[in-house]
Amino acid sequence: MARTTRLLASLAALSFVVASCGGSDSSTTSDGALSTIAEGKLTVCSDAPYEPFEFQDKDGVWTGFDMDIVRKIAEANSLELEVSVQPFDGIWLAPAAGTCDMVASSLTNTPERAKAAAFTDSYFDAFQSVLVRSDDAAKYTTLESLAGKTIAVQTGTTGETFAKENATSSTIQSFDEASAMFLALESGQVDGVLQDYLINKERADKQGTSAVSIKFEDTPEQYGFAVQTGNTALLEVLNKGIATLKDDGSYKTIYDKYFIG
Amino acid sequence: MALSKRKKAMYMRYVMYIVSIAILIVVILFIDWGRLGNAMFRWNIVKDQFPNILTKAAKNTVVFTVLGFTGGISFGLLFALMRLSTIRPYRWFAATYIEIFRGIPLLVTLLILGFGIPIATGWHWPNPYLQGAIPLSLVASAYMAETIRAGIEAVPKGQMEAARSLGMSYARAMITIIIPQALRIIVPPLTNEFVLLIKDTSLISVLGVTAATKDLARFGRDGVNQTANATPLIVAGLVYLAMTLPLTQLVAWMERRTKAASR
Repeated sequence: MARTTRLLASLAALSFVVASCGGSDSSTTSDGALSTIAEGKLTVCSDAPYEPFEFQDKDGVWTGFDMDIVRKIAEANSLELEVSVQPFDGIWLAPAAGTCDMVASSLTNTPERAKAAAFTDSYFDAFQSVLVRSDDAAKYTTLESLAGKTIAVQTGTTGETFAKENATSSTIQSFDEASAMFLALESGQVDGVLQDYLINKERADKQGTSAVSIKFEDTPEQYGFAVQTGNTALLEVLNKGIATLKDDGSYKTIYDKYFIG
Repeated sequence: MALSKRKKAMYMRYVMYIVSIAILIVVILFIDWGRLGNAMFRWNIVKDQFPNILTKAAKNTVVFTVLGFTGGISFGLLFALMRLSTIRPYRWFAATYIEIFRGIPLLVTLLILGFGIPIATGWHWPNPYLQGAIPLSLVASAYMAETIRAGIEAVPKGQMEAARSLGMSYARAMITIIIPQALRIIVPPLTNEFVLLIKDTSLISVLGVTAATKDLARFGRDGVNQTANATPLIVAGLVYLAMTLPLTQLVAWMERRTKAASR
């Protein structure tokens, strides 16, 4: 018996060593403050750059519509905003995997995704669109006009699902990142980029060589932040934060900054 | 306590064994096997991967690899011979090429050649297989050139001298005497290069994939997205192993044989 105990004790000691090699645990604070995976920080997973929602300004500061909202909420809870850049594909699973506390990545709340993560109230309404080269803008005004052509979508996005359901006579090419899709459009590899309207619009305005020629305003989508299923504490803080920002006018200020001004 | 060197080594080994076994036991005890199986190996998802994972995804990986390897070995041989040439500009060109393509990550090369060249020139890649395989083969050729050069240099100088003294031209001696002997030396490292290429093809998807051009890794990743489960990745990994293991075993066998032959 004594031997077994000693063995168990040594195993326990060893497991402690193994566990402490595995990095930080999520700690719980005793004073009832919000506990996050990195103390004092709100770690946010995002597939960036995705202008104008998530990107870094010239000084490397995270900015954009999503980032401004999350930073305000983080600051109101005396947390510092920390961004972890992740590929979009399956990003809503990242909080459950312990990579971050939440996702702020222009993420549409869909029934499928809501099975694997908890979504906050909507903070933005979006819809799909097609970006084409400026020369083609008059030619490609409907999905039907893109029949036999190649359309770029980003892997794991609602745009990909939308394209597969609605653009059945076009070839759908999937990319890891938004920036690769823009390069593929510019290089002539694809004829259209199907994704959320404001991202396409930002690109068209900035680059000047492409234009948004199709908008699907009839099929709106809602962006939400995602947290791990069961993390009600953070979910409440975020929902309250979104509501507060809408009430005190900060939401409008941020909205105007990116979409009106 | 004075221990002999041998005893010390023996005790050391025992300690090592005990530690390894302890770690193994801890891992086995502390892993939640049910959870692991549920997240990474669900049998119904495994079955769903077939046959497309073989008929489409693995096929594409093989096509990319074979194209990349064929191009790589052709250019590699060319650059190896250029590096060994007595003509200085050839040597400089080959050396520069090798340094550039060995020094830039494949991912960057893929993006530059796959997107950059068409944007800069207005020329289009005729098909997605070439768009992925040509950058792959250019990078592979830089590595293979060095392998081939080392192999040729490992053939004793006397072989070339003897062949030339029998009246053979340099080219003929190279083709009929030196390269066949060098092949025996370089086939194992080139097979390893082939294995590396199989794995490198997983980067090509950065240039965009259609349902028809998806490679094995991309297939696995898309599977994860569709099933919200890691099983497709595990299956893709196993399919990679099914391709690479026979090759690495072949290399081991060739190396044993070469050793035996040269004893």
